[in-house]
Amino acid sequence: MAVRRIELMLCTGTGCVAGGAFRVKEALENELKKQGLDKEISVIITGCNGFCGQGPLLVVQPDEIFYGFLNPEDIPVLVQEHFLKGRPVEKLMFTPPEKKEPIPLLSEIPFFQKQLLIVLRNKGIIDPEKIDEYIARDGYTALEKVLTSMTPDEVIEEITHSGLRGRGGAGFSTGTKWKICRSEQKRPKYIICNCDEGDPGAYMDRSVFESDPHTAIEGMIIGAYAIGVSSGYIYVRTEYPLAIKRMELAIFQARNYGLLGTNILDSGFSFDLEIREGSGAFVCGEETSLIHSIEGKGPEPRQRPPFPVQSGIWDYPTVINNVETWANVPVIINRGAGWFSKIGTETSKGTKIFSLVGKINNTGLIEVPMGITLREVVYDIGGGIPGDKEFKAVQTGGPSGGCIPVSMIDVPIDYESLTNAGSMMGSGGMIVMDEETCMVDVAKFFIQFTNDESCGKCTTCRDGSEALLEVLENIANGEGKEGDLEFLEEVGIAVKDASMCGLGTTLPNPVLSTLKYFRDEYDAHINEGRCSALVCKNLIKYYILPEKCTGCRLCLKNCPPEAIKGELKHIHIIDQSKCTKCGTCLDVCPPKISAIIKVTGKETENITGTEDPYPVKRKKGEKNET
Amino acid sequence: MEQLTLDELRKKRKEAQKDIYLREGKYKSKIIVHMGTCGIAAGAREIVSSFLGEIDMLNEKDVMLTTSGCAGLCSMEPMATVELLNLPSVKYGHLTPEKTRKIFKEHILGGGIVKEYAIGIGSEKGG
Amino acid sequence: MMDKVGAVAVLGGGISGMQAALDLAESGLKVYLVDNKPSIGGVMAQLDKTFPTNDCAMCTMAPRLVEIGRHKDIEIITLSDIEKIKGEAGNFNIILNKKPTYLDEEKCTGCGTCIANCPTRNLVQPLEKTKVELEPQFREKVLEIIKINKDREGPLMSVLQQINSTFNYLPENALKYVSQELGYPLSHILMIATFYSSFSLVPRGKHIINICMGTACYVKGGERLMDRFSEVLEIKENETTPDMLFTLKTVRCIGCCGLAPAAMIGDNVYGKLSTKDIPGIIEKYKTMG
Repeated sequence: MAVRRIELMLCTGTGCVAGGAFRVKEALENELKKQGLDKEISVIITGCNGFCGQGPLLVVQPDEIFYGFLNPEDIPVLVQEHFLKGRPVEKLMFTPPEKKEPIPLLSEIPFFQKQLLIVLRNKGIIDPEKIDEYIARDGYTALEKVLTSMTPDEVIEEITHSGLRGRGGAGFSTGTKWKICRSEQKRPKYIICNCDEGDPGAYMDRSVFESDPHTAIEGMIIGAYAIGVSSGYIYVRTEYPLAIKRMELAIFQARNYGLLGTNILDSGFSFDLEIREGSGAFVCGEETSLIHSIEGKGPEPRQRPPFPVQSGIWDYPTVINNVETWANVPVIINRGAGWFSKIGTETSKGTKIFSLVGKINNTGLIEVPMGITLREVVYDIGGGIPGDKEFKAVQTGGPSGGCIPVSMIDVPIDYESLTNAGSMMGSGGMIVMDEETCMVDVAKFFIQFTNDESCGKCTTCRDGSEALLEVLENIANGEGKEGDLEFLEEVGIAVKDASMCGLGTTLPNPVLSTLKYFRDEYDAHINEGRCSALVCKNLIKYYILPEKCTGCRLCLKNCPPEAIKGELKHIHIIDQSKCTKCGTCLDVCPPKISAIIKVTGKETENITGTEDPYPVKRKKGEKNET
Repeated sequence: MEQLTLDELRKKRKEAQKDIYLREGKYKSKIIVHMGTCGIAAGAREIVSSFLGEIDMLNEKDVMLTTSGCAGLCSMEPMATVELLNLPSVKYGHLTPEKTRKIFKEHILGGGIVKEYAIGIGSEKGG
Repeated sequence: MMDKVGAVAVLGGGISGMQAALDLAESGLKVYLVDNKPSIGGVMAQLDKTFPTNDCAMCTMAPRLVEIGRHKDIEIITLSDIEKIKGEAGNFNIILNKKPTYLDEEKCTGCGTCIANCPTRNLVQPLEKTKVELEPQFREKVLEIIKINKDREGPLMSVLQQINSTFNYLPENALKYVSQELGYPLSHILMIATFYSSFSLVPRGKHIINICMGTACYVKGGERLMDRFSEVLEIKENETTPDMLFTLKTVRCIGCCGLAPAAMIGDNVYGKLSTKDIPGIIEKYKTMG
């Protein structure tokens, strides 16, 4: 390829593609051609950059300038100003909320500053569809090292010393797992890469596959060499079509270079990989269930022991690791266990990828060293809570995790601390909640999810989640009664104790942790009929403030069930008997006027909406007299 | 299908590294071509391509070429600034592709300032 | 009211069998309650408390035991195995094998050793099988899919996935055919087919609209997208438009949380969707056909 002056690293993770990244790419290429720059400037497509909230986004190399929220319409200006005349365009740079000055350089944006990239070291730098670019970034050097200078036992030793623990959530020592499997007598053995990332709000595995698939492949080949395995599977959710496509391509390219297949790099070692797709069942992320799914059996978990390392797929010893775990392996081999174990805390080494989503300014994917505090993540990386809302809690660990309240924001993030706080590491979803999030509603949402996804094998999980859901629904509907909270706790603990797999033993966590930290909110729902976050539909009413309504008829025209009465220049009234509480009126009422509010608890008592609309009497800027 | 041996993989890596050098951020020297309206009118585009041509011929790609706006000395355009690591920057004016090649060879590769084209050493003081 | 004809056999006298027998008898049917154990009652009789209400197990079942014993329309047949079932739904003939007791009830301690050692107790009567023929529109593709996957280890999932993605659903005969060719029992295939959310047993539209209900999307109003789609297409969740173009579904997180609320149509993801965008999107797909 001819030498280039500038490379434009355009993010094409799923998020940015949905935001129109390919339309931006087309516009860029057209404009570059038009300006005659297409020989010296090239557009490189990369995997997920991580800062998904700013997409579609672009990083200009070598200047390292970051542009976000791109539109095809912005491209001509960008090309002419920056790429031709060398004047970076401030309007398209990242500007932190409530500040005026944009930050041009990627490395100076706080979102990226506190991150430490190990697994995602190549994100946004290489084109994931080109194996050569991975190889250029020291790709497959770890494999070289292992095949030429290390015995399988030395590899396992190195991984054990690094302190790497499973990134799927449970945190079992990876080295130990490999060692047990290696010592099993039964042959053949298998390895599996678990990319059945079902937790709502988590997408780190998809991102690794989309931005750097070869790092997972290299990790698996090294693992296979260490354990003594000649074939492996990659299990991917069917909901991730782009990740599947890129992984298929990566396997094809690796096979083509002889990095997969027989006699890898002339070393006499052989290993190959096959992709198997899931079909939309959350429980398949559980290892025994995943194995059953590949085998074509009913995807229900089974009792352990025997563990998969003893008897896994087709009843042969099998090591299952999460995508992130495999992706850590090449770096540990290259830089050494000593280097790796210096990062993180006493018991949790290395880094962890989190997807930071919800009510937070900078949403996206972050990789941070273990032991960082929640405060640093939420405020320094995440840029705090949007608007002037108050931070309430962080939900970690997906539907199996719990909510960590604002009072525990200085808790360091590692496996043990999160478990002690009543949550868990999980696969790494981190959902930030503010004062407008109702904890009863959140607990209900997660139990609905687990109730739906429970495979039904254990009574406690199947019926327990049903019982929990029923009570939570009652509370959210304002029909809670005394003793409900004690019942939730009792059933929750029973489900935890008596279920078999990870799904059942963790499903009560959202309920138990919110009960522990937000009991007053439950009490307010039950005793006062008050949902202070104004979420639970049965406990709130929409109300039009007479002193603010201008009688513009906007809400009336948009109300789906036609529950609003009124005429031009008359104070509108919401007929509560017809209102479905869809919230459309609140959305359409112009922000200047904002006459519509939600009320809850005692304040709802006198609002019936039976009165008739009456004329607006005040002059502009005055309050109506009622 | 090309089954690689170890040596072939290493060779491939070396080649591939040349292709992504822009993203690695390891440079010994930096050339800034001033591309204001005046610069472009005076032929700065041509200067950029001739610098690029020189970089292309290098084995070790440790030269970064970038552009910036008008340097404020429009009568001297096309202009370029050359910065070597830890040395003050040097501005060159009235460039032509021939002069460019000489500057590249003697200053960037050789380390010696090409006095006959240089218009100044060091930058204006800020603020 | 409809006249009740015939009788019902309830197989298994555990708590669920007992309740079924009672409900049926109450509705005016003659009930035979069959169990292969010497007595009815099943596992529940062995428990102290039951989940999730922690009610006393015996308190729950004792009234039913008494009621069954007294009911004029319930006949209890214990120590019996099913020898043969003939007929179809609505008209069965069941031949039972009532085991002789061969024992002196005065001396029997109920140890169960004799039952465990009886050589005929697990006899199964295989059903007659008919050869499945595929409809012409499915024939070629299904045969090809089976051929590709037949020799892989664990072919079932891949076969079902490919049939599902080819026809957008799993045709009944195709499943029977797969059962016949790959040797999996049909019940097993149906269990798999109904377990995963991406499989469907009824035909679906050309474009499957999946609305994300992951946490981030839920918090940011995924439900309202659902309402709007359903309004524009005039169908409810899990339904298909009459022109077979669209099917409306929800999905648990598509991993686009940064773009919440999101939806996926086919393989295309639409992020930061507003209810306003929906009619336009539908229109686009309609013109595509």
